[in-house]
Amino acid sequence: MKRLLGLGLLLTVISMITFAAMNLLGDPLFNILGPVAEDVDNPDSVKLIEEAKEQYYLDKSLPERYVRWAGDFVTGDFGVRFSATGQPPVTDLIKERFPRTLQLMLMAQLIAVGLAIPWAVNAASRANSKTDKASTVTAFAFVSLPNFALAIILFYVFSIRLDWTPDVYTATDPFWGFTHDHKLMQMLLPALTLGMGSAAGYQRLLRTDLITTLQQDFILMARSKGVSRRKVLYKHALRPSLFSLITLAAINIGYLIGGALVVETFFRIPGLGTAVVEAVLREDFPVVLAIVMIVATAFLVFNYLADLLYGVIDPRVREKENYKESIFCSWKRRVEPVDATVEAPT
Amino acid sequence: MTTYDEETRDMNEPVSEDSTELGSLDASLAVGVAPKKQLGFGFWLSTFWVVLITLLAVLAPILPIKDPTENYIITETTENLRGDLVEKPVQPPYSLDGNHWMGTDKDARDMLSRSIFGARISLAVGFITALFGLLVGGALGMLAGYFKGWADKIISSIFIISLSFPGLILAILVVALLDRSLWTVSITIGVLAVAPVGRLARAQTITFAEREFVIAAEALGAKRSRIIVREMLPNVLIPMATLSMLVVAIAIVAEGALAFLGLSVQKSATWGKLILIGSDINTLESAPWIAFGPIIFLFFTVASLNYMSDRLRDFYDVRDAYDLYD
Repeated sequence: MKRLLGLGLLLTVISMITFAAMNLLGDPLFNILGPVAEDVDNPDSVKLIEEAKEQYYLDKSLPERYVRWAGDFVTGDFGVRFSATGQPPVTDLIKERFPRTLQLMLMAQLIAVGLAIPWAVNAASRANSKTDKASTVTAFAFVSLPNFALAIILFYVFSIRLDWTPDVYTATDPFWGFTHDHKLMQMLLPALTLGMGSAAGYQRLLRTDLITTLQQDFILMARSKGVSRRKVLYKHALRPSLFSLITLAAINIGYLIGGALVVETFFRIPGLGTAVVEAVLREDFPVVLAIVMIVATAFLVFNYLADLLYGVIDPRVREKENYKESIFCSWKRRVEPVDATVEAPT
Repeated sequence: MTTYDEETRDMNEPVSEDSTELGSLDASLAVGVAPKKQLGFGFWLSTFWVVLITLLAVLAPILPIKDPTENYIITETTENLRGDLVEKPVQPPYSLDGNHWMGTDKDARDMLSRSIFGARISLAVGFITALFGLLVGGALGMLAGYFKGWADKIISSIFIISLSFPGLILAILVVALLDRSLWTVSITIGVLAVAPVGRLARAQTITFAEREFVIAAEALGAKRSRIIVREMLPNVLIPMATLSMLVVAIAIVAEGALAFLGLSVQKSATWGKLILIGSDINTLESAPWIAFGPIIFLFFTVASLNYMSDRLRDFYDVRDAYDLYD
């Protein structure tokens, strides 16, 4: 419960900072009215400006506007857009765009985890062999390849040269199917772009954890009992090794959404990523604010869920009430004290 | 039987230098005897590339390379309808040849020298970002780790807030609202680097604050400033330096992403912008080298920095929260 309060507080602070930053740095009026906003000598323009200010509550003080916005936001009304008409309302825009980004994220995570687990198990079971070394190099290459570069490479190979995947995303096409006119195929490359980069990160982490697990006595015990190698790897060893992967997969949501900005823009998918880029360029602050909040909420909630999942995977965690020091223990978990082997330089 | 023997030996005899606890494990699962630590060939290769590209970037104006803004239009002699020989320009972009090693773009500008000149901005953003992150994050983290108490609480919550922000959205917001100068872009990305660097510095400081040499210095009556600068800083600096290489790499990528969204340093062509120019479907189809040239530069640089950081981290045995920052 305390942790949920912490989450709420954090989200409030984030929304305040974003709200203040946008209103102090930008000039929303210009984007609503266009050039008229700067024409303060003309009485007609002044009247328009006054009207617009009243309509969008820009005549109120900053804290007052924030409270009004926050009140609307928690009831699910994200306000009106800062554009000439204010239409469609931000809520509708988000409703239209959110499912696409969600689909993309889910596909990307599925691809990432689906690639990473067999890849890591394979590498860890043959640790330090040639296969393992080759897979480490491959993982390194994918980690180092920015997603816009990967997007271009995949697009060039699969869409332009091989023509296996379609070039454009069409919002009206049905999802499930395997032709160029189905969104599944249209989203495959974007999801692959996001997923492959993440898979490499997951693989490196899971491999390390698996190697540690595989050295434990119960693995030896299982093997000597005659449990097959495959079963030991996927059933006995995998489960206790999944901790860090779950944390990383949750933290990775933030990275995936950052990547979605670039990938959605490149593949021209009208999702939240493209929406936020457009909104930033047009200084359409309510849209930016809504998306920032959605992203931050998703990020924090998934971190929270990841911690709950620990308990499901490992009964030992369920028993230890004090396992979690604070709401951010999942991040702290990986900050372990440094070994005493680091010598002071002389 | 073998296992039994090895185990008894392990228990009864002092473990010799080169044998580790992994030695007695099932061969298919064992990591093998850890070799003596060294940075390895890959590390030096990466260092070579980073030094090379940095030198190229710094020395670009005086190097004998083509002018990145000059249009190298090729003309060919053809017969016109009346049968006269006339010089006609060939439609660029030109493919890779001996004259243009990486081809040219649509304005017949040499891609190799444009990539090298692009490195100037990309690397500058990377280094300024890392420096900013290192200075501010390091200072904050060390203060938090050393003084603890309310200072730690405040600074740690700043880090937590910063880490839960969607970084790239914040970056495009600030860059779009302020301006697109080199400094704005670098410092914006630098601000995002403060929290991860700071958390590492804090964790390191906390561990070192309990070590004997710090306690000894305190017992001898050393001033706090002296303890921080002379005792702690050298120890915290090593892991931070390895992290800062990663920060340079991430900053270069982040700048590339910003440029790819059309929101980076306005006047000059960075790698990200060059890639963007080559990335529309028609260009990609007819002249893929325009995008792939800068991608290769970017990839090698980022991979080298990543690898150097990774090797150094192993070398100095620093375990920390690196991969949280991307």
